[in-house]
Amino acid sequence: MKRDLMDIVCCPLDKHDLELDAEDEEDGEVVSGTLTCTDCGETYPIEDGIPNLLPPDMREETPA
Amino acid sequence: MTDESDLAARRGIETDVYDPAEDSRLLADVASDAVGSGDTVLDVGTGSGYVASTVAAETGARVVGSDLNPHACRRARDAGIEAVRADLVAPFREGAFDAVLFNPPYLPADAAAAREDWMEVALTGGETGREVVEAFLDDVGRVLAPSGYALVLVSTLTGVDEVVEYAGARGFSAAAALADESFPFETLTVLKLVR
Repeated sequence: MKRDLMDIVCCPLDKHDLELDAEDEEDGEVVSGTLTCTDCGETYPIEDGIPNLLPPDMREETPA
Repeated sequence: MTDESDLAARRGIETDVYDPAEDSRLLADVASDAVGSGDTVLDVGTGSGYVASTVAAETGARVVGSDLNPHACRRARDAGIEAVRADLVAPFREGAFDAVLFNPPYLPADAAAAREDWMEVALTGGETGREVVEAFLDDVGRVLAPSGYALVLVSTLTGVDEVVEYAGARGFSAAAALADESFPFETLTVLKLVR
């Protein structure tokens, strides 16, 4: 994800701001890291450049 | 690689991510005409990323794609789209988008034909076919800029009047049909929803 995606995304649960902790960056993009809600403290992973902003109870890889 | 394993690999992909079809092309055409070059756009349920990448290429707008399906997110990112794994518009900020595009799963579920894979999630909108689009309409107003709009593809199989009525109850006015295309079993329409 690009860093300026932070202007667009928020915590899916309470809509508060997220804080970016970038572990790995390539070509100006965050490849891995975490997004943490500044209010409720829930964390969301960034893997292979894709932030997973599903609520925690929806994170499984398989449908239904 | 043998033909057989190649076929299996292709089937695997087809089972995981909805490939662009007539509905995708209709939405991409309408959105490419409507979106401006300086706009920030969200394509909900981006799937292969076809609509998002077409609109980005045609207009120069910044187009972000979201999908529930991790395979779709990877394919959209491979297509050059900023991808976010998300439940509809839940993780997006208030007023963030000039336009939100959505080609929802809209087929009424047929219990006998129900399958438990990502293609089922991509195609069906519950018993009525409207469950997903209704959940979308409940929240999309929050992420639209004051002059923003949503472009939603609706099929006669879903019930265009019912969707227009539901949108009206959520504060969206003048849901105007921008395009119609008829196929043997359905007519597809793109609704422009404004407040």
